[in-house]
Amino acid sequence: MKIRIVLLIITALIISNCLSAEKLDSLHVNRLFNRCVSIGAGYSNILDTYLSTQKYTGTDIRISRETMRLTKISSGNVSLQNFFQADLSYTHNPVDNNNAFAGMMNWDYGLHYQFRLSDKLKLLAGGQSDMNLGFVYNLHNSNNPASVRAYVNLDASGMAIWHFNLKKVPMVLRYQLNIPVVGVMFSPEMGQSYYEIFTLGNSDGVIHLTSLHNQPSVRQLLSLDLPLGSQELRVSYLADLQQSHINGIKTHTYSHVLMVGFVKSLYSLHRKDVNKLPAFLQVY
Amino acid sequence: MKRKIAYIILFFILPLFVGCVDEDSYDNTPAGNFEQLWKIMDEKYCFFEYKHVNWDSIHTVYSKLIIPNMSEDALFEVMGNMLSLLRDGHVNLSYNGNVSRYWSWYEDYPRNFDESIKDLYLGTDYRIAGGLDYKILTDNIGYIYYGDFSSTVSNSNIDRVLSYFSICNGIIIDVRNNGGGSLSNSTTLASHFTNKRVHTGYIRHKTGTGHNDFSNPLAIYVDPANGIRWQKKVIILTNRHCFSATNDFVNSMRCFPNVIQLGDKTGGGSGMPFTSELPNGWIVRFSASPYYDANMNQIEFGIEPDVYVELSTEDKLNGKDTLIEQARKLLKE
Repeated sequence: MKIRIVLLIITALIISNCLSAEKLDSLHVNRLFNRCVSIGAGYSNILDTYLSTQKYTGTDIRISRETMRLTKISSGNVSLQNFFQADLSYTHNPVDNNNAFAGMMNWDYGLHYQFRLSDKLKLLAGGQSDMNLGFVYNLHNSNNPASVRAYVNLDASGMAIWHFNLKKVPMVLRYQLNIPVVGVMFSPEMGQSYYEIFTLGNSDGVIHLTSLHNQPSVRQLLSLDLPLGSQELRVSYLADLQQSHINGIKTHTYSHVLMVGFVKSLYSLHRKDVNKLPAFLQVY
Repeated sequence: MKRKIAYIILFFILPLFVGCVDEDSYDNTPAGNFEQLWKIMDEKYCFFEYKHVNWDSIHTVYSKLIIPNMSEDALFEVMGNMLSLLRDGHVNLSYNGNVSRYWSWYEDYPRNFDESIKDLYLGTDYRIAGGLDYKILTDNIGYIYYGDFSSTVSNSNIDRVLSYFSICNGIIIDVRNNGGGSLSNSTTLASHFTNKRVHTGYIRHKTGTGHNDFSNPLAIYVDPANGIRWQKKVIILTNRHCFSATNDFVNSMRCFPNVIQLGDKTGGGSGMPFTSELPNGWIVRFSASPYYDANMNQIEFGIEPDVYVELSTEDKLNGKDTLIEQARKLLKE
């Protein structure tokens, strides 16, 4: 027991020594992470004229993981956002006699310049890579049962972040807008089967350059961070409106999702700092 | 700084100007469903020009038969009759109570096949490999019956069959009454009957809504299988009920020098079918992507045999299959 207490004191001293060496105001802010894992559910409206002329609507369940941190670029005025989400939809046609599944993975990774308008309010502007892979599967179809969604974009991205107090409770409101400006998308031609593309190997013309004219998509995120006990809760509304009109095939997936998650603020230590701890106290 | 902030705020109102990608929607009424069906076919069906079908005229005639309060059955009948004018076995309108179809491609012709007589040849001790039923007949001729291209047949299945037939002088592949299935099975089976890459046909697909909006023809080849490849004579037995993937199989096999097609013309069905949907949930299937033979000829209405043989009534009464007997004679020559 005594040994344990001694070890704890040693550990506390080492850590306090690390931290006291650099006071809080001199922490490397680029190593402070804001991370949130959220889950949510909402409504999805799916059209894919390769599969059906009808719009399928139903439930969307989704998980996301977002990390933001400042970088050293431009004297610390540039932040990095890493946002990954995956969703699964189960939808039905208007007369509810057929169903379709849809799934999508989306990874956004990019930088924003932060314009600090005041201590509480800032606007962010930047660009992101926007990678997407998914499918729509219609349960009634025969030779064209599924449609692959695969596209990569360069997005223009803007964000507004406002720190405020509501009845002395500190909160953070954030609105983000991403619009794909240029990209490439996979799409078969109107009557082209996947058999022709993948078995017979005719892939000519299935990769298309996209922009606002043929892929007018928008991804909007409104989130509110508020304390919940010792935790920080993030409640978000995501409007993920993805559209395309290529090769005479029209697609859209309109998702409106309410998400909830917990925010973690993390500090990334250098290896040399971690190595100051005795090996038997390190997690790995 | 102020200008940059103004740009960002302007950016935030951009979504207000993003247009919707949407499809023309039709009401779930008899007229709405009729118009949706007509439009799907008008934009996506691939044989209008080849079959000399005036789809606009058909709209004029049949739209007059649509009345607001007509029953579901009456609407189904009118639309099914309209689709039957396309003379295409790949065109169906279906819901959970009925399927409209055009089956005249075999119903209007002699069957030239009797399942019970075929069973006399196979007996009860025949072997089964994947979808293939096979047996060595008494005169040392290998006989394979493949009744459904939806039944998977693998390279190892075929290797086993051909190995078993190694002592035979020739084989008969009977695909009568095979209404089609998977093109992959067709190609896999055909690949065991050639030693070199053979050009067997072309495929095109619709690239736009116009009746003649097609892609450039893409050449289709059959590559030799890695396993056992049959070097002796082969006779394929066909009738009018050979459709779709079976039609494709016959087309491929005819490109090989040691293969003879015997029996009746195939039923055709060279348009790869797609599916779409009406506002009332009815499903429509239609030919979307046409296949051609190696000379770029249409095979939608079938492939003529090298040797035309009918199943005779006399043979039928004697429990004989005229086509199998004729094939055995040819293989012995």
